[in-house]
Amino acid sequence: MSARVRALVGFAAVALILGFAPNMQESLEFPRFYLIFLFTMFFWIAQASSWNILTGYSGYFSFGQGAFYGVGVYTVGVLVVKQGWSFMTALPVAGLLAGLTGLFLGLVVFRVRRLTGEIFALTTLAIAFVLASVARLSPSIDGGTGIFMTGTPLPGFLGEFTTAAYRLTLAITLITVVVAYLIHDSRLGWGLFAIRDDEPVAEGLGVPTFRYKMVALGANALLAGLMGGVWALQLGFVTVDDVFNIRVPLFVILMSVLGGMQHWMGPVIGAVIITTLTDRLNSAGLTDVNQIIIGGMLVVLALAVREGVYVRMRRRWVTTAVSFFGVLGLARLLDLNDSLISDFAYAMVATVVMMLVPDRVWARFGELFGRSHPAEEPIGAEDLTRTGP
Amino acid sequence: MELLAQGIVSGILVGGLYALMSIGISLSWGALKIINLAHFSFILLSAYIVYQLTVSFEVDPLLMVLVVAPLFFMLGVLVQMFFHLAKVDEFKSLIVTFGLFIIFQSVMQTIWSADFRRIGPVLNPYETQSFFVAGIAFQLPQLVAFVVALLIAGGMWLTFTRTYFGKAVRAVAQDPEMARAFGIDSRRVAVILSGLSTAFSALAGVFIAIGQTMFPQLAVAWFGIVFPIVILGGLGNSLGTLTAGVIIGVAAGVSSVLWGPLSAPLVTFTILIVALLFRPEGLITKRSIA
Repeated sequence: MSARVRALVGFAAVALILGFAPNMQESLEFPRFYLIFLFTMFFWIAQASSWNILTGYSGYFSFGQGAFYGVGVYTVGVLVVKQGWSFMTALPVAGLLAGLTGLFLGLVVFRVRRLTGEIFALTTLAIAFVLASVARLSPSIDGGTGIFMTGTPLPGFLGEFTTAAYRLTLAITLITVVVAYLIHDSRLGWGLFAIRDDEPVAEGLGVPTFRYKMVALGANALLAGLMGGVWALQLGFVTVDDVFNIRVPLFVILMSVLGGMQHWMGPVIGAVIITTLTDRLNSAGLTDVNQIIIGGMLVVLALAVREGVYVRMRRRWVTTAVSFFGVLGLARLLDLNDSLISDFAYAMVATVVMMLVPDRVWARFGELFGRSHPAEEPIGAEDLTRTGP
Repeated sequence: MELLAQGIVSGILVGGLYALMSIGISLSWGALKIINLAHFSFILLSAYIVYQLTVSFEVDPLLMVLVVAPLFFMLGVLVQMFFHLAKVDEFKSLIVTFGLFIIFQSVMQTIWSADFRRIGPVLNPYETQSFFVAGIAFQLPQLVAFVVALLIAGGMWLTFTRTYFGKAVRAVAQDPEMARAFGIDSRRVAVILSGLSTAFSALAGVFIAIGQTMFPQLAVAWFGIVFPIVILGGLGNSLGTLTAGVIIGVAAGVSSVLWGPLSAPLVTFTILIVALLFRPEGLITKRSIA
């Protein structure tokens, strides 16, 4: 219990520091760009974490993230711009509608016991296109013309527009991560892990599989919709093609696969690394190559590090710390680049590369340095949760 | 009424093309346990290659079948060898082939840009040709695609039921280990089948190139049509896939006539949902390939 309290205090501290970062901007003199960068990072942390609640914990692979996100974006767009609601009343509705979309999907797919996870995956893939066509068809939603989202009034106590949007994003992100954390160490979480390892066995042991899967899917969709709703604020111009495309599912899958899908920290780490890297690649003008690199990373990571880098980072924490802070310090000292984000990107790449070394090769290295039992290191989350045959 | 009849006929014909696009994915999923999302890029890549060869060398686009089919057979063989080497299972295949799909997409976007591409009417005499029966138009490219789909679906069905190779494929689909124990070279069977299914996707690409305007995002738009067909038809069941393609094609055609072309994805998805609720093992037959 005390571990949980400590973690929650930690979350609160992070919330306070990041929440007041805009106030400290002038005294600390960091560029305003950093706030926008963090803003993007929060969005992806929230999306990846909410996706992981369903897919990482229960093993049901979902491509539906874009659909839930899109429902959130469009609900806020339609209610605020076309119906004249205030943003703070539209946001909960966005989450609710996205959650209902998820539950409807679950009701159809999870009802039939013989359906495999693969069919679930493909159904979630199809739903984004259906929602896109609904939005295109119906003039009261989009009608093919798009929605202009500029100058939405936000509550004054949050600060001026950018700061307020930043804080709202931060709030939703923290809620998502805390929910993912709480589920991870709860009865629900253990039930979901059991479903992932072997659903028939879990069912036989008394795990209410249908209910747990519905809760996980509902939570995933609701949180994704809320984040979509906040994200609508900074989209400016909302169009069907920009919202319901393959980008959101692609990136959340990549981030979670990179970070690791077994643990709540995995998607957070993955999102931090990927947003930093894509930001650097984009600012280096490599937007075209970007997608190829992303796709290649997905293939390599899915095959090379099954458990994700987070579990390996914990196992090889000395190497992680040395390579991350070593490279970061070196980059700062050498003054390679005036941007702090670039230095972080170098450090992250170095760390990830170190984590890509397979366990077998790693054990050899350990022997070289006189450690004969590298297997005695802390057991990864994957091993702790494995119950099936 | 005539419009409706036209919608049904076009739906049946375009259903053939849909089936042709789906057969490769269905075979690969049903027999090899690999959900190959990269097939969507194979279809589009083949279409782009046909477009490029036709425009560059001013040849008949239909003749390009002779180029693309062997080319993509080899590609399918290579892809399957890679999957074997990397020990890709059903679940991992989703992530890995999604990554491949993204790579292929951006490569195509880099080469052919995001512009709309179309083989001009001079080089592509097939596009506008059609003949009329009782006032209903049969467009030639769609008709040819339908016939090809019929031949492939029937051919695969005969192969699976009548030949030694077909028996081997079914054995591998049921239990690769056991098949190996009975002396079937399951790797070779898998490699050949992967080559075949990729070649079928390439054939679909030829008809896309002849009949449609191409742009990179097209591949993404196919997800919503192809997956309902694959699931409805039963995994690995080629005749089922053809029937499902025709059903989806007719549904899309009729709904386009009644409610406009944008309503088609909604109707096909509704069919999928209803089918999943009542006949989750596939609409057409209880048996998939295994």
